[in-house]
Amino acid sequence: MFKLDRKLIISASVAATVAILSGCMPGSTEPKGESTVNGKATIDGGLVYPVVNDKQGPYYVNPQVAVEAKKIFNGRVPTDNEIAAWNKDVMADGTGLPEGEGTSEEGEALYEAQCVMCHGDFGSGGGGYPALSKGNAYELQKTLTNNRYKNATGDGPTRVFGSYWPKVSTLWWYIRDAMPHPMSKTLTTDETYALTAYILNINEIEIDGEVVDEEFVLNREAMLKIDMPNNNGFIPNIDGPTGLDDVRAFYANPENFGAQKVNPSERCMKDCKETTAKVTRIAGAGISEFLPPMATARDLPKKEGSNGGAKKQYEEACMMCHADTSMGAPALGDAAVWKTVTAKGIDKVYHNGINGINGMPPKGGSSLSDADFKSVVDYMINQSK
Amino acid sequence: MDNKKSNDQIDVNKRDFFRKTAALSVTALAGTSLISSNARADDPAIMHHVPWGQKWGDPVTKNRYGIPSAYEHNVTRRNTKLLASGNYQASIAVTPIHESMGIITPNGLFFSRSHGGVAHVDPNEFRLMIHGLVEKSIVLTLDELKRYPSVTRTHFIECPANGGQEWRGPQFNSVQFAKGFMSCAEWTGVYIKTILEDLGLKPEAQWMLAEGSDNSEMGRTVPVDKVLDDAMIVWGQNGEALRPEQGYPVRLLLPGWEGNLCVKWLKRLEFATEPWYCKEETSKYTALKPSGKAIQHFYANEVNSTVTSPSPEIPWTDLKDGDIVEIEGLAWSGMGTITGVDLSFDGGDSYVEAKLKGLVLPKSWTRWSYMHTYKKGDVLLLTSRAMDDAGYIQPTIDQETKVMGVESVYHRNAVETWEVTATGEVNHVQIRS
Repeated sequence: MFKLDRKLIISASVAATVAILSGCMPGSTEPKGESTVNGKATIDGGLVYPVVNDKQGPYYVNPQVAVEAKKIFNGRVPTDNEIAAWNKDVMADGTGLPEGEGTSEEGEALYEAQCVMCHGDFGSGGGGYPALSKGNAYELQKTLTNNRYKNATGDGPTRVFGSYWPKVSTLWWYIRDAMPHPMSKTLTTDETYALTAYILNINEIEIDGEVVDEEFVLNREAMLKIDMPNNNGFIPNIDGPTGLDDVRAFYANPENFGAQKVNPSERCMKDCKETTAKVTRIAGAGISEFLPPMATARDLPKKEGSNGGAKKQYEEACMMCHADTSMGAPALGDAAVWKTVTAKGIDKVYHNGINGINGMPPKGGSSLSDADFKSVVDYMINQSK
Repeated sequence: MDNKKSNDQIDVNKRDFFRKTAALSVTALAGTSLISSNARADDPAIMHHVPWGQKWGDPVTKNRYGIPSAYEHNVTRRNTKLLASGNYQASIAVTPIHESMGIITPNGLFFSRSHGGVAHVDPNEFRLMIHGLVEKSIVLTLDELKRYPSVTRTHFIECPANGGQEWRGPQFNSVQFAKGFMSCAEWTGVYIKTILEDLGLKPEAQWMLAEGSDNSEMGRTVPVDKVLDDAMIVWGQNGEALRPEQGYPVRLLLPGWEGNLCVKWLKRLEFATEPWYCKEETSKYTALKPSGKAIQHFYANEVNSTVTSPSPEIPWTDLKDGDIVEIEGLAWSGMGTITGVDLSFDGGDSYVEAKLKGLVLPKSWTRWSYMHTYKKGDVLLLTSRAMDDAGYIQPTIDQETKVMGVESVYHRNAVETWEVTATGEVNHVQIRS
């Protein structure tokens, strides 16, 4: 059948060839997508496009590759040390979690020094970075059913580490490898335990019925005992030997994930609207603060003013902490505060900014050159006179 | 006109010329046709020499890597503070899909999302390690990786939060922000299954960890089903190397699946029996349902579509009564190939069939079109609805929220509506109970 099709393509009229190449009739000359693989439903509820007669969907495939690939080994076998250096992921069962320890009290000190400027006091959030706690995790887990589908003006669900995340291993792993955000992978194993203990503490997580308090020593053994409040809050099941089958079964049913299937000839073409449906408009101005502002004109860009570069760099690198006092940083425009900052001379201000001071990482975590950074400092001082 | 005249002279002469020709056109052309009978000034863009036509252009030595015309500066990615985690190092900049042509997004406009900023990887220090439940582990340099037999495929990548700000009602009066968390490109790379042919995947392997080398060490767990189907390691994007924003030198591409799963700045693939619980697969990228249970491992971006023209960015305010205008849009499905798009002028009460145009490819943007005669003063509610060959059709907002509630954030694919006002302005609205 497919062989015949290919012969037809070769001998077909120019018009037919154009029609086939332009792909305007999907499926007509191409291998069709299939909803099963080896007798099992696809993993995502969608189709796969197997290679049939050297074509995969609309794409031609070189059949030599499948034969020769078995003989291609282009790299080298990594050394054990190399694998160990990179294989540092931490799994829910403790695989990869090293021995070490830290207390919440130690974690709080680290937090105040390296984390609070983004995640706020006691993990309350701020500056757009995620909150780490909103209170007792066991109580907040119950808010996950507060779906504003049922009550449009009610409080929504609270999804923070304590109330939502199913595994504590995720937190430990992410803190060590991705935090603090401007200088990740700088925390020791013990520091990571300490920070994890602090975040467990502010979420009031219990281990063996005991709330993690300031003195609690978190180590590998204690961590593996933690059963997070929302551990059973996720579908489909992905754990264990049936994990993949459970996922396949879940996506085989469109009703599980809000999808609709239809026989195309039976889809609604007339009188389709739900009788209760009406036009809903954007409330107020909606979200319209776009950068750069929305425009479709075809004109030449405006030249930036003399301070345009520094202003832009301020907005990108500094504004999040210096726009107001919520992060504890000197606020732009606050003449009194900046008078104090500059009291010891401009070189001291440059030095502190470039090397970091208090909660501020070096250059505010930006990658500005020293010269550019200084011009941003000048801009901020000038704006605060 | 004399080519050597100064611009000032030209301007003076031009004015004279326009007066004369305007007068002439009234007397000479009156009555020949309704259109030309108007006493209209001739177009200066036609009637005088343009500056770029009278002097040297740039030498070919300028811009050895070409850049767009300066006049196209508004065709750009945009961001909004409301979608930034603090600063713009964990944020998204979205694609101006109202300006997109065809089904390919230029590399400089491809939407950019990262969790620790755009990493700048030295390709000489790039290494890709594949290990875990394979018979033989491997580490590859970039050159060694690129020596594998390549495939080239056109696929969209979509952030599953595309449209996710609008579960509870429309928020963005903009197609760039309402639907532009996606782009489409022609990718070149190698199927992971091709590399595994020799490495030998052990039968107990169920999951693959994909890990990036960036500041956030972005990781995600991928089921082996996808790895053995069409998962690619890509280094080429629209005929050139990946852009840094797309993971230069190498990213994972899982056609049709959440953009977040397509890990950028890729460094490591590990196979295991159990999934990993990476940060972005439970804390985010999960869809909370009214039951309080959240869908995790929500892979494919479902069938979806939007009208791109008209749109809030491209209104019909300049159309005249009776103008024939092409309504255009995009359709896409991460579960298969687009088979059809319907268009409604009354907010989804009745539909007509729109026409697909251009190439129709699996898990790719697909262009659709409908020719419309514009009637001045008409108020329209334009709603598009796409179908795919897996049998899915876009749900109404009511159908989708009935199952998913309004707290899901991710994977919203209900039909969306533009209101065209009597004066041709275009507003984002939703039709819902």
